[in-house]
Amino acid sequence: MRKLLVWFLVVLSVVLLATEFFTEDKMLCSSSQPKTGGTLRLALASTPESFLLYGSLDSSAYTVIMGPLMSPLVEYHPITNEIRPGLAKSWTVSSDGKQVWFYLRDALWSDGKPITADDLIFTMQYFVMNKYARGNSVDRFTIPDEKGVNKPITWTKINNKVVRAELPSPYGAFLTVLTAVYIYPKHKLEPLIDKNDLASVNKLWLTNVSPSEIVVNGPYKLSQVIVDQKIVLERNPYFWKKDPYGNQLPYFDKLEYLIIKDPEIRLAKFIAGEIDYMAISAADYPRLKQIEVAGNAPYVTFASKPVGSTPSPVHISFNFDTANPKLREIFRKLEFREAMEYALNRNRIIEEVYNGLAIPGGGLMLPTNKAFYNPKVEQLMRPFDLKKAASILDSLGLVDKNKDGLRDFPDGTTFEFTILVQNQPKDYQQIAYIFSEELKKIGVKTNLQILDSSVVGQMFGAGNFECGIRAFGNQPDPQLRKAIWQPGQQLYYWHYSTMNRNTNPPSPVFSEMFDWEKRIWEIFEKAQIEMNPKKRKALYDEWQELYYKYLPVIFVARQMNFFGAHKSLGNVVQSPEGLPTFTVWTTFRK
Amino acid sequence: MENLVSFIVRRILIMIPMMVIVSIICFTITELQPGDFLSQYLDNPRISPEQIEALKRELGLDKPAYYRYFLWVRNIVTKLDFGYSFSYQRPVFELIWERMGWTVGISLMTILLQWLIAIPLGIFSAFRPYSFWDYTFAVIAFIGISIPEFFLALILMYFALNAGYTYIGGLFSPEFIGAPWSLAKFIDLLKHLWIPLIVIGVSGVGGLYRIMRANLLDTIGSPFITALRARGLDEAVIKRHAVKNALNPLVSIAGMELPNVFSGTIIASIVLNLPTIGPFFYNALLNHDQYLVMSFLMFIAFITQIGNLLADIALALLDPRIRIA
Repeated sequence: MRKLLVWFLVVLSVVLLATEFFTEDKMLCSSSQPKTGGTLRLALASTPESFLLYGSLDSSAYTVIMGPLMSPLVEYHPITNEIRPGLAKSWTVSSDGKQVWFYLRDALWSDGKPITADDLIFTMQYFVMNKYARGNSVDRFTIPDEKGVNKPITWTKINNKVVRAELPSPYGAFLTVLTAVYIYPKHKLEPLIDKNDLASVNKLWLTNVSPSEIVVNGPYKLSQVIVDQKIVLERNPYFWKKDPYGNQLPYFDKLEYLIIKDPEIRLAKFIAGEIDYMAISAADYPRLKQIEVAGNAPYVTFASKPVGSTPSPVHISFNFDTANPKLREIFRKLEFREAMEYALNRNRIIEEVYNGLAIPGGGLMLPTNKAFYNPKVEQLMRPFDLKKAASILDSLGLVDKNKDGLRDFPDGTTFEFTILVQNQPKDYQQIAYIFSEELKKIGVKTNLQILDSSVVGQMFGAGNFECGIRAFGNQPDPQLRKAIWQPGQQLYYWHYSTMNRNTNPPSPVFSEMFDWEKRIWEIFEKAQIEMNPKKRKALYDEWQELYYKYLPVIFVARQMNFFGAHKSLGNVVQSPEGLPTFTVWTTFRK
Repeated sequence: MENLVSFIVRRILIMIPMMVIVSIICFTITELQPGDFLSQYLDNPRISPEQIEALKRELGLDKPAYYRYFLWVRNIVTKLDFGYSFSYQRPVFELIWERMGWTVGISLMTILLQWLIAIPLGIFSAFRPYSFWDYTFAVIAFIGISIPEFFLALILMYFALNAGYTYIGGLFSPEFIGAPWSLAKFIDLLKHLWIPLIVIGVSGVGGLYRIMRANLLDTIGSPFITALRARGLDEAVIKRHAVKNALNPLVSIAGMELPNVFSGTIIASIVLNLPTIGPFFYNALLNHDQYLVMSFLMFIAFITQIGNLLADIALALLDPRIRIA
């Protein structure tokens, strides 16, 4: 009954918001006197490989498609990360949580044709749930039913504007995974698909297609592609968002992406005022700020609390299944991992590697993520204390027997391990170096192995390492990172014996899991089908505590985020909590 | 004349086995590179292991290397199909072709500039050997040869940017990219172009200048110049003969410049953000986009051979002794 009530409230609030035109939040439209026209210029690292989100795995393509060209069914609020209506103006959920009705907005495609239920179902069928599409999300839309058998979510047209989704079981992250579903036009794409070869969808809307053929529903539409130099988008007059003062969005007539591969040039162009907005690295931030403070910069910079999923937070892992039996035994001991955390000088790393512009930990969820962050983990982090680390190692029997200054195993051989780290980005290596330096002070011998990222990736994937330094991204919802943090998954790389690769898909091996790992496994399974946001949060709170307590990996630090915007941009401000606001559809040129 | 034709035919026939050997070497090297196109997606939690397997089959990466090689060669021989790019999912030939324009344009401009500067300077130096100017040019030339292109590019850009100059990186200001040609666009191009031309051209100028100077010094010291002098010819006429003869060996250098047109600017183009084939090729290499990399390498090998052939033909026309060699 309480579940029903909660959902009734959620539904009610959503229905109240619903209108045919979506009115953008005042937070993003702080200026009541926006100007229209002009060109917004942003940087892009390479020419997008495709304009079909599901046919490509290219990040430049993602940047241009997700938001500027295409709209999702439901979307994240660009600042608060709350879920809000997108092309679906509202939705209702059945009392058992297994049926969801989506009501589509009266919005139009950029060629003036209406967006209908057929487009949504077409997108689901041929792209999202088509396992031959390169960028499909079949996994995210296949969930176990009550008997534990994986089944796909099915989509049914009720009428032109209403679609019903049927779930095998309640699915707590359903709306979250839908934020990454961008709707494509059936009337343009269906005739191009070879229905006998479903991989043919990957060949749609590649870089050789005429821009006029690309029909979209985002704020801008494609106008010109100049290979390796520039992508030009122009205003989509049929975009479905308005500002709070009744003006049609977006304000800019054109959005241009300058294609600049080299980060130094990107920075130079930004300093010269040719690029209007971009993310800045921690290393470049002090210099840019200096120019800004001196008063002759065409831009303003923002340093914000960590937000979003990049740059990824760095962690240290110890391979529970490493080939050396003596190391394996030690690595599996919680006391050892605790000693390693005591020996991790997070403050020094933050000062020396990140210029003081990072937060300790920040691994699983960011403090700015109000929906899921559990602040208790801050107390669970063990502070830097070499003495304590040394005494724990003593108690584990790792003492210096032959007086060469290095700790030995009880059998007299030197205790040493190799830290595997990739050569890019630089901060991973620097952390590895500082960590090994501190360990040296307490007589622990480490060897740094710095290799090209593709080699390192393969070694981790094969479980062929002793200690590793790596980084995985934060996400708005833990469900999206199940493949990393749940034992028995493809990226739970420090304990691969928890996964049986011989079944398809790979299955968990409970006999190999520690009790706390079994609990983490359970939490993910429970949270997945939990529809009540509060109960989901409670489960994921426990998950975060377990990680910080039992240290499957040791989280090091998460860099802050830095942005720079041209002085003349309107509606770009920083909130009191430190979050910058910028979207391609609400900024304008003052 | 008959000699020359059989010489050319022979040279062309030799090119075929050469290309085969080059292709095998290149394919082996790209295979030795650790990882493949799909390794970059292995630690992406969005992409499941099953999907990686499916892609592997789709791209043929589950087949052994020799099989893929023969398939690739067969398609080239039978259909003139150089394969598909893994990431762009389009024929590699199309992709390379799209990026040819500026690659050839910038390189030809650089080469022209190099010759226009290096030859007169070389002549000037050779006629005043061991003078103040000769030493000065020598020092500058050696610096030019030894300084890495990317470093020179960064230094030039740094100074330009600090001096408040904003025409940096790329070939045009953003508003002119893709705009129809006009006088304003041309002027904008010139404002951007000088940095790439200096960066790419400087080492070549140094090298060519030293070669020209050495050639001319050799020629001036040769008996036939002494003979001309002995016959009391005007000094201006003697110089003209010396320069003509000293230019001969540069013909073969010109032929060898041809592959440089396509491959010589890779690093500079990345740093300077030039829309040439270089950065594109570099990316393909990092991504293990194998057929794209292979086709580009084969193209360079082919151009190198053509360049050598042209140089030899030119030399053969100038010097009949080459034809029987």
